[in-house]
Amino acid sequence: MLRKDLLRVSRAGGGYRPRFVGRERRPLAAKVLGAFESTVGEPRSAVTAATDALEAESEDFKLVRGLAALVERECVFEARSTVPPPRVRRAAFEAAESVGVADESDRTRAIDRAADRLGVGPAVVEDDLYADRERKEVLVDADVRWDPDALIEQYNLSLAQTALFDATEIRVRSVDPKALVNAVKRLRLMYELRRTDDGRELVVTGPDALFRRTRRYGTAFARLLRTVAGTAEWHLEATIDDRGTERTMTLSGSDVSVPGVEPVAEPDFDSGVEADFAARFRGLDLDWTLVREPEPLATGTRVMIPDFAFTYDHADFTLFFEIMGFWTPEYVEKKLGQLADVEDVDLLVAADESLGVGEAIAARDHRVLTYAGTVPVKDVVDVLREYEVDLVAEAAAALPESFAPDDDAVALAELAARHGVSESAVEDGPFPDHELVGRTLIRPQVLDRLREEIDDGASLSAVEERLDAYGIDDASATLSALGYRVEWEGLGGGTVREKEASPEDG
Amino acid sequence: MTVRLSYENGTIRVEADPEGDNGAAGADSDAPARGGGLPPLPGVETDPRSGTGRAPAHRYAAIRRALEVAGVPVDDRVPAWEPAGSRAGDDGHDDAELALSTDYDLREYQAEALAAWHDADDRGVLELPTGAGKTVIAIRAMVDLGVPTLVVVPTIDLLEQWQRELETEFDVPIGRFGGGEQRREAITVSTYDSAYLKAEDVGDAFGLVVFDEVHHLGGEGYRDVARLLAAPARLGLTATFERPDGAHETVAELVGERVYALDVDDLAGDHLASYDIRRIEVELTPEERERYDEKQGTFLEYVREAGITFETGEDYRKLVMRSGTDPRAREALLAKSAAREVMMNADRKLERLGDLLERHRDDRVIVFTAHTELVYRISERFLIPAITAETGAKERREVLERFRDGTYSRVVAANVLDEGVDVPDANVAVVLSGSGSEREFTQRLGRILRPKADGGRAVLYEIVSAETAEERVAARRR
Repeated sequence: MLRKDLLRVSRAGGGYRPRFVGRERRPLAAKVLGAFESTVGEPRSAVTAATDALEAESEDFKLVRGLAALVERECVFEARSTVPPPRVRRAAFEAAESVGVADESDRTRAIDRAADRLGVGPAVVEDDLYADRERKEVLVDADVRWDPDALIEQYNLSLAQTALFDATEIRVRSVDPKALVNAVKRLRLMYELRRTDDGRELVVTGPDALFRRTRRYGTAFARLLRTVAGTAEWHLEATIDDRGTERTMTLSGSDVSVPGVEPVAEPDFDSGVEADFAARFRGLDLDWTLVREPEPLATGTRVMIPDFAFTYDHADFTLFFEIMGFWTPEYVEKKLGQLADVEDVDLLVAADESLGVGEAIAARDHRVLTYAGTVPVKDVVDVLREYEVDLVAEAAAALPESFAPDDDAVALAELAARHGVSESAVEDGPFPDHELVGRTLIRPQVLDRLREEIDDGASLSAVEERLDAYGIDDASATLSALGYRVEWEGLGGGTVREKEASPEDG
Repeated sequence: MTVRLSYENGTIRVEADPEGDNGAAGADSDAPARGGGLPPLPGVETDPRSGTGRAPAHRYAAIRRALEVAGVPVDDRVPAWEPAGSRAGDDGHDDAELALSTDYDLREYQAEALAAWHDADDRGVLELPTGAGKTVIAIRAMVDLGVPTLVVVPTIDLLEQWQRELETEFDVPIGRFGGGEQRREAITVSTYDSAYLKAEDVGDAFGLVVFDEVHHLGGEGYRDVARLLAAPARLGLTATFERPDGAHETVAELVGERVYALDVDDLAGDHLASYDIRRIEVELTPEERERYDEKQGTFLEYVREAGITFETGEDYRKLVMRSGTDPRAREALLAKSAAREVMMNADRKLERLGDLLERHRDDRVIVFTAHTELVYRISERFLIPAITAETGAKERREVLERFRDGTYSRVVAANVLDEGVDVPDANVAVVLSGSGSEREFTQRLGRILRPKADGGRAVLYEIVSAETAEERVAARRR
């Protein structure tokens, strides 16, 4: 975070955007770091003069000051004096009191008297009188943990945090919703869940925000950003009170990251049971993608973040999955409470059989399976298969009775994608205008033409080029269908030969 | 129907017929949505985030009253300051034992002021000139109510002063938020800044809050202090209630109306010393004049070209904003600040200050200036103890104590001493480079309006540079 007067934002087009800096500012960042390194051993006023000089030569003094402020915070300054300055002052002021200082000669007498009392020379009194003032402190350590790139990264983070000081509300999505919710609570903010086209987001405000638009929680939002920016994928939108004008600021991982922190791509597992399940499930090749701690779901006025979600690859369908391990009765009560109030979504619960809560969960309209020890992947897959049958049937119901695409040649995968279904829903055709060659639909006329164009002994690469021209990329299946085989030559190319009649060909 | 009130981070949470915490499944203590069925209550709105009613904490007393009038049973969990019962002992403060007493006898006008405050349900603002003994009235109010009290003050110096007086008066530990210390006790003194940061944490811990120099609550940030505290009893103290920016209306809403006012003229010559004001003009040296004209010229040239008229404060703000992107605007601002510095630091001011120190060798002198660097120049040149925002709490206390006990007869201070700090028996004040604010001026005056033992008249000197903007500022005051 920076001081607010060092904030740099662009309001172009009525927006509100921190003026982030990129690699082009590397040289400036290096100069700022250098200004501190080169003034080690000098008083703060000299350090300030060095950075002031950079200010004068840069067209953007606020950027220079912002970078310098971040580096200065990492440096160590120390007061240096022969006698502790408060002692010097006490002696000098007492001496001045007895002399009654109004002019230069009075002053000299007072200084001499104080020096005598302290047993030092008058010059020491002069030097040490205010040696502990901040501007006279000496820079003793400028060993900063950032290189120029990291300094720029830190600057961008700090700049975004500073912009949030004036925020009255923020709206956040993140791949680690649990960490987000925990941070919101820790910072004593409040949230509401809102559904948007891009998924569920947390609308974060503070208690007093109910009554008025307030910037009171700006620093808490700034702290929250550090948690949010520590993940690989996030999106934050803030309502900014820009001196009475309301503006919107949007931030994401491409603007801001945390130096020295590897972004969290996937939250940590809460238990070995979960980790084990995820590993085994991902070993399977299914049309479902497993998501760890997906979006938060609304339950009453709070949120519940299920352990997993399965998203179907060929349709917009999500099955949420919660594993209820063995835990305290309070935990079980809380979970059951959440399950009773959770918003209307498809939810599968795997409950440890020793909990004896299967019926209670079923009574809350969720699918349930019980397990002992580890969650049986097979049971879960069975449930997914059931959904899949429905989904395929649903998709099939929306499909034409036969497939006659305009293309001369088209892959099944492409055709399925066009209809938004899995390949299995289209592979049985019928295809009145095409032949199915391997996994590609090809018009018979095209096959005829190819038969004419391909000569025995042609090079494979030339043939592949021909096939490409028709949009066919499965060369081996097509050649085989046309009655050719490939004679391989070492690791390089090959030659296309007509298949000799084999016994099977009869 | 029962209505439960609880304190939550600066707000009052209002629930009608809340279920027991160990009730049906899902009764996560703050989860269920039960905001409905509430009678209309002052300031209470429905909060979709918690599914309850909610109001800013300062409405607590009004909500209690409304529920009482409506005859609704209340499960009140707000006050952490009440003895025994629901909240007993949860924070280790045994507030039940807070029995205070004082030996002060109130003067007649002080007793009248206090009675007016009690008559207004222990709410409201007392407007009394500096030196009229506001602390004494507040101490008596604390004794009358016998509840944990938070005293909020604008500066570190006032913090020290209140703490000292309360420690002398009461036989209980005095807590403190500010000046590097964060310690809560049944009686706690806080700066406005610390109170702003801590309001949500401690808003249910005090039954009475005293705002010294209460006009500070007009500032947007500081008004949160009053909004987020639940304390039903509120006492505001000030020398100047009315403000041109209308902030006193905010204060009236959050603390209460002005219930008592006493003019400085009612007191002068009676409890306060009479005083003289002497204005001293100094010429800039030729070098200073040249530098001033050059810098001021740069500034004026830009301002003229940019068409800035300075008819409103808004114009200056615009110039500052522009300086972020326009190098010429920045140059103009830097020139202005350099010109101001020449004027503030004029060498002849220090010469005249030397003359005054010579003339008042046997008097007790306080020197004021707004500029920290000038404070240190004066401190180094005349070897006078300095107090600025940089001065640590310990040394600050030591300097003031030594000034009080006569070890030091001079002090130079930045504006940190502006308000209400009790420095007894100073009879000479010198103001260098003052600004034009009426309020600041009267409060500085108040500093030396202390009755002097031998009855001598106090003197206030104002040293300004001639033919500069600063002189116009001084002239405007008359």
